[in-house]
Parts: sequence; structure tokens; C-alpha cells
Amino acid sequence: METLLNSAPFTGYVYPNETMIPWTVLIVVYPYLTGLVAGAFTISSLYQVFGFHQLRPVAHFALLVSLCCMVVVPIPLLLHLGHPERAFNAMITPHTTSAFAIFAYAAAFYVILLMLETWFVFRPHIVQTAKKTKGPVGWIYRVATLGSDDLSEKALSYDRKWLFALAIIGIPGAHGLHGYVGFVFGSLKSREWWSSDLMPAIFLFSAIISGTALVIVLYVVSCKLRKVPVDLACVKVMAYSLWGFMMFTLLLEGLEFASMVYRGREGIDVIMSFVKGPLLVPFFILQFGLGSVLPLAVITFLIWRGTSGPTLVVAITTSACLVLLAVLMMRYNVVIGGQEIAKTGKGLLAYQPPIFAKEGLFTAGCVLVLPFVLLSILVRFLPPWHESDPALAKGAL
Amino acid sequence: MEDKEKLEGQQKGRREFLSCLGSALACSAAAAAAGAVTTGAVAATAAEAAATEVPPNPAIPGYDWTQHRWAFGVDATKCIGCLRCVEACKKENNVPLDAHHFRTWVERYVTLEGEETARIDSQADPVNIAASGSESEYRFADRYRDAKVEQAFFVPKLCNHCTHPACVQVCPTGATYKTEDGVVVIDHTYCIGCQYCVQACPYGARYFNEETGVTDKCTWCYHRITKGLQPACVEVCPVGARIFGDRNDKQSVISQFIQNNRVSVLRPETGNAPNVFYVGIDKDVS
Amino acid sequence: MPRHIFRLILVILVCVVVGYSAKRFFTLNSFYEYGHYRGDSVADIASDKPKFKGVGYCASCHAKQIAEWSNGVHNSSDIGKIVKCEVCHGAGGARDDRGPFEASATGADHPKNLKMVVPTDTRKLCTFCHERLTGRPLQQRQIVVADHAGTQQCIVCHNPHSPKLNLTPVEAAAQAGDPIVGKAKAAACVGCHGAEGVSRNLPGPSLAGQNATYFAEALKAYGAGGRNNPMMSPAAQAINAEDASHLAAYFSGLKCEAAPASDAQAASAGQAIASKCTACHGADGRASNGAWPNLAGQSKDYLINAIKAYKGGARNNGMMAGIVKDLSDSDAESVATYYASATCK
Repeated sequence: METLLNSAPFTGYVYPNETMIPWTVLIVVYPYLTGLVAGAFTISSLYQVFGFHQLRPVAHFALLVSLCCMVVVPIPLLLHLGHPERAFNAMITPHTTSAFAIFAYAAAFYVILLMLETWFVFRPHIVQTAKKTKGPVGWIYRVATLGSDDLSEKALSYDRKWLFALAIIGIPGAHGLHGYVGFVFGSLKSREWWSSDLMPAIFLFSAIISGTALVIVLYVVSCKLRKVPVDLACVKVMAYSLWGFMMFTLLLEGLEFASMVYRGREGIDVIMSFVKGPLLVPFFILQFGLGSVLPLAVITFLIWRGTSGPTLVVAITTSACLVLLAVLMMRYNVVIGGQEIAKTGKGLLAYQPPIFAKEGLFTAGCVLVLPFVLLSILVRFLPPWHESDPALAKGAL
Repeated sequence: MEDKEKLEGQQKGRREFLSCLGSALACSAAAAAAGAVTTGAVAATAAEAAATEVPPNPAIPGYDWTQHRWAFGVDATKCIGCLRCVEACKKENNVPLDAHHFRTWVERYVTLEGEETARIDSQADPVNIAASGSESEYRFADRYRDAKVEQAFFVPKLCNHCTHPACVQVCPTGATYKTEDGVVVIDHTYCIGCQYCVQACPYGARYFNEETGVTDKCTWCYHRITKGLQPACVEVCPVGARIFGDRNDKQSVISQFIQNNRVSVLRPETGNAPNVFYVGIDKDVS
Repeated sequence: MPRHIFRLILVILVCVVVGYSAKRFFTLNSFYEYGHYRGDSVADIASDKPKFKGVGYCASCHAKQIAEWSNGVHNSSDIGKIVKCEVCHGAGGARDDRGPFEASATGADHPKNLKMVVPTDTRKLCTFCHERLTGRPLQQRQIVVADHAGTQQCIVCHNPHSPKLNLTPVEAAAQAGDPIVGKAKAAACVGCHGAEGVSRNLPGPSLAGQNATYFAEALKAYGAGGRNNPMMSPAAQAINAEDASHLAAYFSGLKCEAAPASDAQAASAGQAIASKCTACHGADGRASNGAWPNLAGQSKDYLINAIKAYKGGARNNGMMAGIVKDLSDSDAESVATYYASATCK
């Protein structure tokens, strides 16, 4: 018998079928990426819809980040499926009581929305580049213009209205998309660690903070790479948004855990021994301590002291990195942690993810890196930076 | 003056936009309607034709699924933990021969002197696998031989074929479903292997078969019961701990079992309404 | 409306129509027939071939084993304990080469090209059910294997189709006989069996201290033809049941006499071999059950001949035949030496 890579040793009593962990690190990566999508889009919408004009430097960039993450989202799912060639069954005959089926349509809708919004934002650039570029790349640009080079004020005003409508639709779209991911876990009766009414909200708000943190980090890194000064007002607004959303996220996560402990349902002693034992470092130290409380404290301090300049940038960026780690740990603790607590309520499993396997850590790492590879290519074709692109500077936005 | 022009311009722009949007919606509605009408017309005629005649029952020779309402009973006072049922099921249904994939299993509950809750193990426990010497043959190790045991018994477990199955609810494609005669089965040609159903089952009855790439579980040997046979586990149980039958027949063993005993089910609080009825389990069994 | 907006809406509409049409096209025909699933899959699932065939399937060819089984304790339908054929022999309906009951031939079906397994390691097989195990209801007959049979296979003593051993005498003596009457009648036996029932070098076996029930059964067997001996058969026919019980009572009260220790080496070798005899005949040669013969102090030659007779079938006893099957001649002699010199009490 070949090595059963997803099997886990256990203590106590677990159902015999539970010794195989069904959802592996790829299913940790997939909500993480979906979360980055929702979060980055939120930053973009704060500019487009809510008029946070300080976010202009990152608004379009956030859109590209969202798009790149979104196109990678199906990959961990397809790698995980036993029959990826049948994946479309969920769209051909969607079972509407299933969160996965609804998610398939929500994701399809959302990726189209993202592509549309990106198209509208970058249309002036596309039209201008189509005229200048030759060869097959030029041909792609020309197709993308849909045969129209109309950049008149009337056309651009139409674009603006469409953008506004798309952004408005996109907010519930993105949030619904990731809320559904939370619902996938929260709606199940079988696992005490997952079953919670708050789960969609927790996933959603942790998604927003992960996306915001990602945009912060990528923006600062890209400024360094482009040798351009960091827009402090932009970073400040993002930091404030991060701070606000983080408080709410911490509140929700804390509430969920506290409720579970307080209710003390059957199996709570095993859960507590798990949380204080194997999960101590990933949960309390990494997710809560290092990843949530510390950045929150740092940003509180920065806001209180009105810090500015390079100190602000370094501190915010570091905090943002910690937040990214925290949210990844949160996904890991929910997905893998939840499966390590047996459904019997009387046992614990210890899952060691394989490194080099179809569903191993290396594959997960590659999937996580892929959106950034795509992003680095995409920004060359659709540069979101206003400093370099006068067309965009005056443009539709 | 300029402001008024600007306002008018804005209003005009807004009107244009709305009219454009309106015509766009009208166009799309018309196109969609046209498409729907053509495809729908075909479906409508088919539906009309179908509505006049009842769809035939599945083509199972000599079997009418509307005539049966299957149920299962477990008498845990009789189970001797011989595990013949586990091996027979694996043979009958091509279940992977290791300690991680089971359509049915047996749990042992042992309450030692001075302890309040039972110690539980199944045949898949590493100690028991070591005792049997193989992952494909099953035997309980006599690990409590030298202990002071207050109470001990065996409980066979299997899929409960719930009336409101959580697994069916979460399946995104409709690959798993409940038949008209009450059996929850899986269409192995349609399952995509997402394993959401494995997560959703509160009883741990489902597993993923890595070789076939689809999930699997106990089917009450649907291929046997539709031929008048018993499920394989019921067939081989030497002590009559497993009971199976048709609740539509008031004189069947299962109807008598349910009627004459104070039967219980596992995890009733989930609202799944299981259809495996237990006699002889206690507070520690869930 | 600007051109690009119009064309965009067109593209979106085309995508929607194509998507919806694809959905309709790819939906399988029988889907939604009975519910949200592929209707044809019900019949697909039901069409799998059963592998376990049931007892009726075996009965058509294996009448003898079925007869043994039907009357035996492995078919106790009154108490709901039934061990069907395929529990031990594996599924009759299809080859499964993945596990313990691997078929020995290619092909699919018994009997066409599938040989059923005849389990050889019964010590492993029978103990699945009969090993003493915490949690096993006490109504289930269970043993501590090492204490019960040592390392022996179960089928040495037990017929797997009808495993219950006849531990109680077939007919217990209506009343115990009178040893005084028996002594008077025993005069005719002295010539071959010795004055005090101790044979020493006489042709017949020692009878002193023999179990009364066994003694009476032996006489009855000689008289009825179950056991055959040119001397004993006519002799036994002349003894009625009442006299047999008197004789049995007399001889069982006599004291057996152990042969002088001649070959200590053979005796100790015999003791080792005799470990498989102790279950019935006792460690000291005194049987635990009156239906089985005491061996302590029995004539060595008689014991050797008895073993040979069981091996060859001249004496017909399935259980004994199984036990002595693997005894070589020297083994037989060692065992006989051991019991012959075993202390009599």
C-alpha cells in the first residue's frame, strides 16, 4: 500500500475514517487567496466608491492585485479535487443547498466583474498602447479595445459611470464571495471548531485585513523598486483602515472563541487541551499575539504619536507583514486545526503536511507565489502608476 | 450660468446614461428571452409530454423502489466484536484494504473501575492493527485483559442513511443523493472528489477513495437489497447484532425490532434523523 | 451610447447565452429525473454483482458439510447464532485477491474458476469469535487460547462445521452398577485383562481404574459393532447393559498399576508429545471427563496399537484420528511409554 500522505496519527478516539485528513494545505491557501481578493478590492472600492482620494496611488494597483489573486484561486481547488475534469459539474448542475455550488457561480461572476473593472480603468492606456504597439502583443491590445479608440469626454464619462456601478456591485460581490467561504465552514454541524454563525463575518473581516496588508506591503515594495517616494498620506489611510478592520476582526474572533469556551459543549475539554497544546504556538502566539495584538499595538502607537516619514513606512510595512502571517495562520488553524479535532469530541489528530506531494507544502507555496508572478507581468502591460502614465493620471478613474 | 450649463449637461449625461442602460437592459432581456424561448420551447414540449406520463422507476429488474422503506437496526448487546462484518463489507464493496477507509466499523467501550467515562477504541486503532498483524485483517487486541473492568461492550457503526442527510445538503454537484427507498448513495461517475460531504457528516461515515478519486460510504449494499439479499455485514454477522429490513412490512425483523425495543439513534441533536436504530448503547456512545 | 459600451454589452450577452447553452447542453439526460441527481445512477448502483452468495448456494454441491452444519451448533437459529459458510470460506460470488481470503485460481466465480479457501490457520480464524475478549458478551463461548489448546489448531479437536464436542456421555448410566456383582461377573475377563484388572503382559488392556462411562460405552460398541475385535466382539455380545454397568463399577474402583520406569528418555520425550493429549486425557493420564479413557498405567503395547488403529482407521474416531495423524512410530512409542509409567492414583 502506498504511503497515505494525508493520514494522521491520533490520540484518544477518532472515527476510523477521520485518520485521513480530507482538506489539506491547498484548502488553506484557497480561502487565503480569496481573502486577498476581497481585501484588495475593498481598498480599491474605498477610493472608487467612498471617495478616499488619498488612496489614489494604490487604487488601480489594488485592482490588479485583486485580479491576479482571483485568477489563481481555482488552481488549489482543482489540484485538490479527485476529478478536476468534472469540476464544471458544480456549474452545470449546481446543487443550490451547497455553499460550494453557490461559490462557483459567485466566483465566476466576480472574476468577470474584476476583469470588466480592470478593463474600464485601463481602457485609455489600452487604446493608446494599441495604436503604438506592433506585432502579436499589439494585436491583443487592439482586440481589447473592442475596435473603439474613443477617448472623448462623453466616452470617458460612460466609463466612469460603469466603473462606479461595477465598484458598487463589486463590494457585496467580493464580500459575498468570501463570506460564502466562511459559510462553507460555519454552516457544518459536524465540527465544533467550525460550526459558528460568526464564521462568515470572521472570514470576511480577516480577508479585508489581509488584502489591505498585502496592498500596503506591495505598494511599499513597488515604490522601492521603482525608486519613487512612498505617498505617506496613502499609507496612513491604509494603516487607519487596517487598524479599524483589525479591531473588528479581533473582536469577532475573540467572541467566537469565547462563546465556544463559555458554552462548554460536549468535547470542549478536548478542544481546550488542543488549543493549549499543539495549537498554542500557531493560535495564541502566531495568530493572536504576534500577528494581531502586536501590529494593532504598533499601529495604535503610530496613530497616537502621529508618526510620519520613513519610520511610519517601516513600522506599517512590518505590521502589515505580521498581519499577512496572522491571517494565513488563521486559515491554517481553522482548516487544519478543525480537522485535527476529531468529530467524536474525544480525540485529536496530528497532521504533518507532506512537503513534496500533489497537495504538499511546496505546491501550496508555489500557488501562493503565483499571483505575484502574474502581477509583476501584468503591471508591465497595464501599469497602474499615475506618475508614469499621464493617460491614467488624467483618465477615467 | 456655467453652473447651470454644467448641471444641465450633467442631467443630460445622466439621462443619456439611463436611457442607454435602459436600452442595454432591454436588448439583453430580449436576447436572453430569445435564447430562453428557443431552448425553453424544446424543454417545454418535453416537460409537457413528460407531465402527462409518470417518469418510470429506475430500471432495476424485479424491483420497485416505491414499495420499500429500508431501515437498519443494531443490537449492541449481542455484538461480540469479531469484525467479520468489517471484512465482509470490504470484500463485497471493494473498500481499500487499510486502516483508514471503512464503510462500517466496530467500536469498543470499556469502563474501568474508578473511571467515569468509557475508553473507546475501534479496530483501526494502531494497537489493534498491531495485534491483528495486518491492516487488512481486523482483530481487537485484548488490551484490558489485566485491568479491572466494570463494563465493556461493542458497538457496530455504519452510515445512518439519515432522512435529512447533511452530506446530501452540501454536495455541490448532486453526486450524492437519497433514493426513494431511503438509501443514501453516491454516483461515482459524477462526484468531483471535493470531500465536502466527508466534512459534513457528523458520524464520520464517509471517506475519500484516493484510487478512484471519489468519495464513498456504506450503501446498505444497495446492489444486494434490490435483489432480495441482505447487506453483506448483516449476512455474515454470526450473532444477529445487525438487523435490516423494510419498514413498510410491519412484520419484518426491523419493524419488530423498532417496535419491541426502546431504540435510540446517534446524535439526534443534529436534526439529521438517522435511520439506524440502536439497542444497548449508553451515554458514552455518540 | 459609445461604440465600446455597445460592443461590451454585446460581448457580455454572447457570453451569457453561450454559458447558459453550454449548461443546458452538458446536463446529462437523466439528471433531474427523480431529483437533483443523475437518474440512471440508481440502476447503475443496483446492478453491481453481489459477492456473498449465501448458504443456499453452497448447499447444491456440498450436501455433506451442509448436513453437518445444519445440525451443529454453528447453526443455532433458536438463539440467533448462525455462522454461515462464507464467514470462514470467503465470498463465493467473486474473486477478491486483495485480502486474507485470496482465491487460489484465476477467474470470477465459484465453482467455475474460483476455488474457495479452506482455512488452515484455524487458530487464527476461530479465535476471531472465540477468543476471550473484554467486552464480548458472556453468552458467547470464548477461551483463553494458550490455556485451552496451547499451540494446537482448533480443528484438531473440533469439527468446524459442527464444533461442539460431545462432552457428556451419550447415555449416562441409568444407575451406577454394583461393584460386588461386577466382581463376580469379572471372572471371565481375568484371562486377558489380569486378576486385578492390571494386564501387564496379557493380550488385553488394563481395565483397573478405567472410567466407568467409557468402559460401558466400549463394551456397548463392541457388542453393537462400532468397535470390532475377534475376541471382544462375541464376548461383549454376551454382556447385557446391566451387567456392563456392574462390571464398569467394579473395574473403575480398582487401582491401576504404573509400569516400572524403563526408558526415562522415551518417557520424557513422550511427555512432551503428550501435551496435545492432556486436554482430554489429563496431564497425569486421568481424563477430565468420564466419557474419555484414563491412560495412566495402561499397557504400553496396547497404547501403541490403539494409536496405530486410529491412524489407520481401524478404530473410527475423527477426533483421535486428527490428533494422532502426525505421530511417528517413535513418537507413538514415546507417548505410550510415558503414559504406561505415569503414576497411578
